[in-house]
Amino acid sequence: MTGKRYGRERKRDRVRIRLWIFGILAAALVLAAFFSRQLCPFDPDAQNLSMALEPPGFPHLLGTDRFGRDMLSRIIAGARVSVFSALALVAVITATGTVLGVICGYFGGLADAVMMRISDICLAFPGLVAAMGIAAVLGGGIQNAVIALAVVSWPKYARLARSQTLAVREEPYVAAARLAGGRPGQILIRHVLPNIAGSILVTALLDIGTMMMETAALSFLGLGAQPPTAEWGSMMSDGRSMLQTYPWVVLTPGGAIFLSVAIFNLLGDTLRDYLDPRRLWKKEERI
Amino acid sequence: MKKRVFSRLLALGLALTVLAGCGNNQETTQQKTDPSQEASAEKKTFVFGDTTFNAENGIADINPHNNSGGWACIRYGVGETLFRLTDSMELEPWLAKSYERVDENTWVLTLQDGVTFTSGRAMDGEAVKECLEALADTHVRAAGDLHIQEITASGQTVTIKTEVPVPALLNYLTDPYGCIIDMEAGVSPEGIVSGTGPYEAVSLVTDTSLSLVKNENYWNGDPRIDEITVRTISDGDTLTMALQSGEIDAAYGMPYASYPLFENDAYTISGCATSRVFFGTMNFESEITSDPAVRRAIAMGIDKDSFVEVLLGGNGYPATGVFPDNFSFGGDSVTAETYDPEGAKQVLEAAGWVDADGDGVREKDGKKLVLRWLTYPSRQELPLLAEAAQDILGKIGFRVEVNSTADHGRICADPDAWDIYVSAMVTAPTGDPEYFFTYHCLDASSSNDGHYHSDRLEELAAQMARTFDTEERSRLAIQMQQTILDDNAYVFCSHLRMSMISRANVTGLTAHPSDYYEITADLDIV
Repeated sequence: MTGKRYGRERKRDRVRIRLWIFGILAAALVLAAFFSRQLCPFDPDAQNLSMALEPPGFPHLLGTDRFGRDMLSRIIAGARVSVFSALALVAVITATGTVLGVICGYFGGLADAVMMRISDICLAFPGLVAAMGIAAVLGGGIQNAVIALAVVSWPKYARLARSQTLAVREEPYVAAARLAGGRPGQILIRHVLPNIAGSILVTALLDIGTMMMETAALSFLGLGAQPPTAEWGSMMSDGRSMLQTYPWVVLTPGGAIFLSVAIFNLLGDTLRDYLDPRRLWKKEERI
Repeated sequence: MKKRVFSRLLALGLALTVLAGCGNNQETTQQKTDPSQEASAEKKTFVFGDTTFNAENGIADINPHNNSGGWACIRYGVGETLFRLTDSMELEPWLAKSYERVDENTWVLTLQDGVTFTSGRAMDGEAVKECLEALADTHVRAAGDLHIQEITASGQTVTIKTEVPVPALLNYLTDPYGCIIDMEAGVSPEGIVSGTGPYEAVSLVTDTSLSLVKNENYWNGDPRIDEITVRTISDGDTLTMALQSGEIDAAYGMPYASYPLFENDAYTISGCATSRVFFGTMNFESEITSDPAVRRAIAMGIDKDSFVEVLLGGNGYPATGVFPDNFSFGGDSVTAETYDPEGAKQVLEAAGWVDADGDGVREKDGKKLVLRWLTYPSRQELPLLAEAAQDILGKIGFRVEVNSTADHGRICADPDAWDIYVSAMVTAPTGDPEYFFTYHCLDASSSNDGHYHSDRLEELAAQMARTFDTEERSRLAIQMQQTILDDNAYVFCSHLRMSMISRANVTGLTAHPSDYYEITADLDIV
């Protein structure tokens, strides 16, 4: 018994270490995005056609694109757009979906039925295809891409928050709060939200990578960031005709997307293990 | 433990299924192709990929009377015109054997004998009369060019009377809209017509493909390919990979970035200078570009040399005016604003455009110097030109908002929706200078999208319309170009080197300066 507990403690320590590592990496990415202007070695938008398509080397460590712009600077500047738009998107859909889900789950009734049918309609469309349609109607631009993705992505959070709320509202502590004369708003904020926040937070963290990919996909298709804005998806699109001849123009933004998505996904995964150790133990028992 | 074994077995099974699937595919393909190999050994087939054969470019079908459908009709060897252009862009008879100008308004054309349409009907004066009358009835630009009053036919002779003198009539008849088709056979719902060319169209799906078969009764040679498929591949990268994989035998519209992949013995690149020009049309209805200083600053802010050298990869020639320098009235026979960003800033300052609020964008009378740049992506270099101009003009004090859209044709018809419309067109497809002006710059032009008007240009155009002497027409063309350049009504960026890339075993596919003739009876696979 003691050995099993010791093993679980070690496992939890390893999860904690992983959480620190991925947390630091994610924080570094966000900080790099925030301070991108200071970190860029060159002006990311400054064209210099005499230096077009220089291979990686010195002084352009990741080479230049066909307009002679420094790829490293554009990757760093692109982080600002790609990371912050993904974070903003996740924040919006998490907040909207959670608020609607909690209200529907707690109060039920007609509003719940209507809201859930709306979410069913949204979920019935393939997400990215619906987002493409909305972005096409709204026009190009990263802002519109975020709006388009938000419109199709919130129901997931609404459904999750609703199901969690349905479970929590029957808990004795919620009943006790109700009996003690707590108002619904107070109960939701003090008792329901804190108890469902864990799973929503994990889902949101895991979604950052997905949203980053989807924003990049819209930009790749010309429905997101518009030239000359540096954004990883649009940079890949601009360089796709040069994949065989000047591969760094495509591979560097592709690599940036891969690394960022991997960091956020691993962070979300690790956080889930950390917040729900029983899941980890079950996994361990299975093995 | 059991679960682990099961999952491993499942993974192994999946892997084997995938491998077996691949193996089966090859086998099945082989089995399927084996019986037909004998037949295909006898039949020569050719697949041509083209980025421009689509409705977006006005080529929804091969009907020469429908928009730009004539381009497909003539390019893919379905139709032929009464006269054609030589490699040096001079006129020569084609379906017509000879001509005589009786007076300023009357032309008598004698047709070739023994020419039949793929429908089986003989091409005689009556057939040509029917075709040209239908053309004048349905094609706005053709009607405006040809000014046909009356056509009479007798045997192999056609007499064309025009309402006004049309000195360039024979040149206009080389335009793809002048492909002679059998109007009795008509136009199929898909847009297929019956022409006199070396190949007969058998099926057409707009924006997808056109299937052709050899015209067994072709009058001017023996076509060597039995079946041709022209595939619409609007994406340049897909076109590149299609040629690399052998899915197509030749390609038109390859992105310049892909050229290095084909500069080897396995492929042939046939290229020549054309009068296709990348140019900007200023909108005279716009509050921004109706200002002469703004137009001049834009003209001074375009770095044509760098665009050609870097973004076109040297596959072009910096343009001064409408026509390239292989025309007597082209090249340096005119002068235009040269690249001078500092000069452009001064021009704007002098006109009252200043950046008072320090945001990098100039203002005048409370109006920001925002330039709405309309272009389209099917000519892949146009968005690049927009992005390059966005940077340079941005430094001069413009904020350039690029709208690169396939819907440009509809948008450019709305003068409130854009300030400069940057497009590509062949300016002298008929070898004569009048075409560009009648198409684009005059009050009566069908494509004067910027609503440009110049009394001087109208006067010169009227003069040209009466002038039959070639040298005098050249002199007038120079004056007309200079007029539009002095007004900065248009800014010409570069003329294009047009190339077709084919596999090394393809012969007879040669680029032509007119950009008209691609698939001919000479095409072969050796």
